[in-house]
Amino acid sequence: MDFDFNSDQYMLRDSVRRFLDDQAGPAQVRASGAAFDAQLWQGLCELGLPSLLVPEAHEGTGLGLLDAALLWEDMGRALLPAPLIQTMVVSDTLVRQASAEQAAQWLPALASGQARWTWAQHEADRDPSWLQVQARPQGQGWQINGQKMLVPAAASATHLLVSARGSDGQAGLFVCEVGAAGLTIAPHHSIDDHSGLCKVSFAATPAQPLAGGTQAVERLLNVSALAASLQMVGVATAAMDLALDYAKQRSQFGQPIGAFQAIKHKFADMLVALEGARSCAYHAAWALADEDSSAPVAVSMAKAASSDMCRLVCNEALQIHGGVGFTHAFDVHWFMRRGKYLEHAFGDASWHRERVAANLLDASLPA
Amino acid sequence: MNLKDSPEQQAFRSEIRQWLQANLPAGWGKTVFEPQGEDERAAFRLQWEKKLYQGGWSGITWPKQYGGRGASPIENAIFLEEMARADAPDGMNIIGRNLTGPTLMTHGSPAQKERFLPPILRGEEVWCQGFSEPGSGSDLASVRCKAVRDGGDFVVTGQKIWTSFAQYSNWCFMLVRTDPDALKHKGLSFLLLDMRSPGITIRPLVQITGETEFNEVFFDEVRVPVANLVGELNQGWRIAMTTLAFERGPEEALPRQVRFVREFERLLALAKSVQSGGKPVSQDPVMRQKLAAAHIELETMRLNGLRGLTRLARGDELGVESSFTKLYWSHMYQRLTEIAMEVGGSAGVLSAADAQAPAQGHFSHRFLASRAMTIYSGTSEIQRNLVAERVLGLPK
Repeated sequence: MDFDFNSDQYMLRDSVRRFLDDQAGPAQVRASGAAFDAQLWQGLCELGLPSLLVPEAHEGTGLGLLDAALLWEDMGRALLPAPLIQTMVVSDTLVRQASAEQAAQWLPALASGQARWTWAQHEADRDPSWLQVQARPQGQGWQINGQKMLVPAAASATHLLVSARGSDGQAGLFVCEVGAAGLTIAPHHSIDDHSGLCKVSFAATPAQPLAGGTQAVERLLNVSALAASLQMVGVATAAMDLALDYAKQRSQFGQPIGAFQAIKHKFADMLVALEGARSCAYHAAWALADEDSSAPVAVSMAKAASSDMCRLVCNEALQIHGGVGFTHAFDVHWFMRRGKYLEHAFGDASWHRERVAANLLDASLPA
Repeated sequence: MNLKDSPEQQAFRSEIRQWLQANLPAGWGKTVFEPQGEDERAAFRLQWEKKLYQGGWSGITWPKQYGGRGASPIENAIFLEEMARADAPDGMNIIGRNLTGPTLMTHGSPAQKERFLPPILRGEEVWCQGFSEPGSGSDLASVRCKAVRDGGDFVVTGQKIWTSFAQYSNWCFMLVRTDPDALKHKGLSFLLLDMRSPGITIRPLVQITGETEFNEVFFDEVRVPVANLVGELNQGWRIAMTTLAFERGPEEALPRQVRFVREFERLLALAKSVQSGGKPVSQDPVMRQKLAAAHIELETMRLNGLRGLTRLARGDELGVESSFTKLYWSHMYQRLTEIAMEVGGSAGVLSAADAQAPAQGHFSHRFLASRAMTIYSGTSEIQRNLVAERVLGLPK
């Protein structure tokens, strides 16, 4: 029994943290607007981050989800804009499901950062597993028809990993290149512009199928939900740190507001929620990395705990700031925005609790 | 990171399992349970304590020089988890093994260690804790029970309260005021008091559950030999703080979590059997949300505990997740009992004596009993202050 990361994993985290502290965070978000930041991407590629989960045979680093976990947390802490995490999550799928030929075609460019990948999962339904987009064989290949939404950074990606249903009704994953025929990308307007969310329409768009079927679709959702959970832990850590700094220096009634029990008790409850969600998120990372049979439930526990926690911590962090928390000039709102996107992405807390409940209560499902 | 047992840990686990199977009464937890009467239960638990000693399982974390096994934190957690999984009885002398023992190992004189440690391990001397007073709850350093030096003795006069199992105890460790003129933390001493001494009156406090675990204890000029002073005169506060530190931590939380899980399994079974509008409660979407939330919280308690345990095993300082162990589980368990009451519906209020009580009245009893958890060992309000000041560095 050993429930902590190893020193290599912490060292990797520290080196990435130094870069993110310097190059990302609220200052970068303010400076870059919602547009793709090519310089930041270049820096992330120089650190080798897109290559992390790609095997060495395909010019990658050959590490695993546990090595990525602490980094995803820190990318949340640094408000890192898309599509690095998306590219890394997609690489988990490609490594498992791409044929030898596909792997050779895609993985080296993904690892070098020359290609930028994102996923197209959500459709116009509250249920993140709802799937209506159609995939049909056409000549030598396949074609996709339908509409996806909430696709992060589609406007700056080169490739999309798309979930779709085949003519037999089976779910599966497909790859489309941005710029392919019939593919239209339009940005959403949202309260978290830096996630670069887009609508994507497919009209007889050519696509390549991946192996893995429904299981691959489910794993993509699980890894995406894990990445969101870890990012929320990072987002909430940063929001809480801002609030702590503020509570220690802001003085009212002749003392720092952090000396009042009303504020102290809020912080204690925030910490309890934050650390509990952190435990769940680390556990889910281990379960998915270990391919333990408990992984889907572990992910749902993590996503539910992190979503509830992130809501609490970000809202309280803003409240503790008082009036300045409502101004654009203070940074706390950026974390609340990102947290709110992640809270509802890939199934909100109640959607994931229902998955846990089904596992606990419905005899027909494996325990 | 690996959340599974190593082969050595697995072997240790099965050793305990086999011992428990061989030593618990046949049918334990199914047809055979602890005696209902409080006195019979206390006697039964003391017997169990002695059995643990004979099997080599008493005080397994104690160093070998004091008769323990020198078990690692992980082995201890495995031992306690397996005890909990088998519904093994709580020993009678938890305070002696977990609080008196470690406190004396840290602060006791060689003579005190020699006199007091072996009978604790053997289950021969039961201990109680004399800290709180009617006027000193959260503000523990304000205790007034006084000890005045008279020849070779201290003479103790005053009152203690919330003293668990005082009626079954041979000894009491106490925080007493030895210098009434010093600042409040600085005039306190730590004494070991023989509960058979003349001048002690024990009055049971009837709890909201009807049980009488707690007592008020009155001391009327009770004589304590100077040899039973632990550490220096007027240095008792520091010692009491070490004692309290032994009270909270991941090794204690993990087996408690296993016991909670056993109750939660009972709750899930109840949810499948209780009908709501002709359908089992387990099919009600709102109740499913609540049951899943409770499950997630229980798992969070386990995972927080494992993080703390990993730090102990690596020889690191405990991390932030250990600072709020009790704050977390006390509220979590109260929420669990509320959900259990909801699952029972209107009949949830029925108690054990009523044949129609859901789960034989277990949860209506636990609902009442759990009220104590956010109060004892430092109220949640005090715990939140400690977390905010000591972990997050907020000003006092």
